[in-house]
Amino acid sequence: MTPMVDLAFLLVTFFMLTTKFRPDEPVIVDTPSSISEIKLPTIDIMTMTVDKDGRVFFDMDGKANREQAIRKMGERYSVQFTPEDIKRFSVLTTFGMSIQELKNWLPLKPEERKKIHDEGIPIDSLNNQLSDWINFGRHANPKYRIAIKGDQDADYPTIKRVIAILQDNKINKFNLITSLEAEGEPVAVAGKK
Amino acid sequence: MAEVQQQEQGSGKKHKKVRAKKTSTHIDMTPMVDLAFLLLTFFMLTTTFSRPKTMEINMPVKDAKEEEQQKVAASQTLSVLLTEKDRIIWYMGVDDPAMPPQTNSATFSLASPNSIHKVLLEKNQRIYDQVVELRKQAEKESWPQDTLKARIARTKADKKGLIVLIKSDDKARYKNLVDILDEMSVCAIGRFAIVDVTPSEQELIKNTNQ
Repeated sequence: MTPMVDLAFLLVTFFMLTTKFRPDEPVIVDTPSSISEIKLPTIDIMTMTVDKDGRVFFDMDGKANREQAIRKMGERYSVQFTPEDIKRFSVLTTFGMSIQELKNWLPLKPEERKKIHDEGIPIDSLNNQLSDWINFGRHANPKYRIAIKGDQDADYPTIKRVIAILQDNKINKFNLITSLEAEGEPVAVAGKK
Repeated sequence: MAEVQQQEQGSGKKHKKVRAKKTSTHIDMTPMVDLAFLLLTFFMLTTTFSRPKTMEINMPVKDAKEEEQQKVAASQTLSVLLTEKDRIIWYMGVDDPAMPPQTNSATFSLASPNSIHKVLLEKNQRIYDQVVELRKQAEKESWPQDTLKARIARTKADKKGLIVLIKSDDKARYKNLVDILDEMSVCAIGRFAIVDVTPSEQELIKNTNQ
């Protein structure tokens, strides 16, 4: 039995070390499949998630960058964040709400946060907070790559709007996050629903 | 267990010493193995190895000056209009309100006789063949990846090649856009752009509705 146990422990160690637990995401997005095999880089990524109801979520990595971005956002929209708020924000991931709601949302406990329905980040031209997030985020780290993670049923106008916001910020190169086409399935069998 | 040991101690030390030499040092590993397998199963089931994939897109610079913008030849331009229910409408040439182009409808499905894949492949056959040829050659002469990529990129950038304008109306799904972009890479079309639908094209879409 010893060799088997050795093997079992080896595998346990392997899986334990390779597993990275996925952070809690506020929304589940079913990305469309594509044949593209380019892997998404793991660091310096700024993600805009569009779900099928047309809500926009935002995420960027790097604690320091997040801290800097939320500080700037607070100044820009005159929302006062306490140092604890900023610290909490820096360890979070994706969020989808206006900066005003963020202020009330951050002090909540994780269980309470989940109960609140996210409205998405405002993207209309009068209250374009997404644009400011992108701007301040890139200010904090110019190396950010931009990725759009859209649900396959997301309507096109929202995606178009997000792309337009990116272009307004002089970002003409970005990534669309997709999942790999299932093996054996012919390409572009798409849309047969 | 503790009781048993105590009894043994009581029964005399001499016996125990003798027995201790004989008894093997095997310990019962079953619970540990159980635990190990439990953990193994847990980690195996929770691990996902596939990292998300991505397609890179370069959009044309928005506020380029008029003269900097490339004029595209109508004869080599194909417009693809994406609309509701995963339908595609395509036509050759540029959008001209005075002279509405002949439109055709197509689907994403590969099996269907009018799949967009066939249309694009047929229009871009020359470059597609060249790319296939390059791939074969690369395999035969074992080129490094970079060389192959550069050669393919150069072939795709052919000035006389097909230009595809992807236009999506407000009813299309995001999936349609990704699918058509996929089709670009499958059919080796290097020159394409995502542009807005013009009002006259909205009319075209309306008129082609079955």
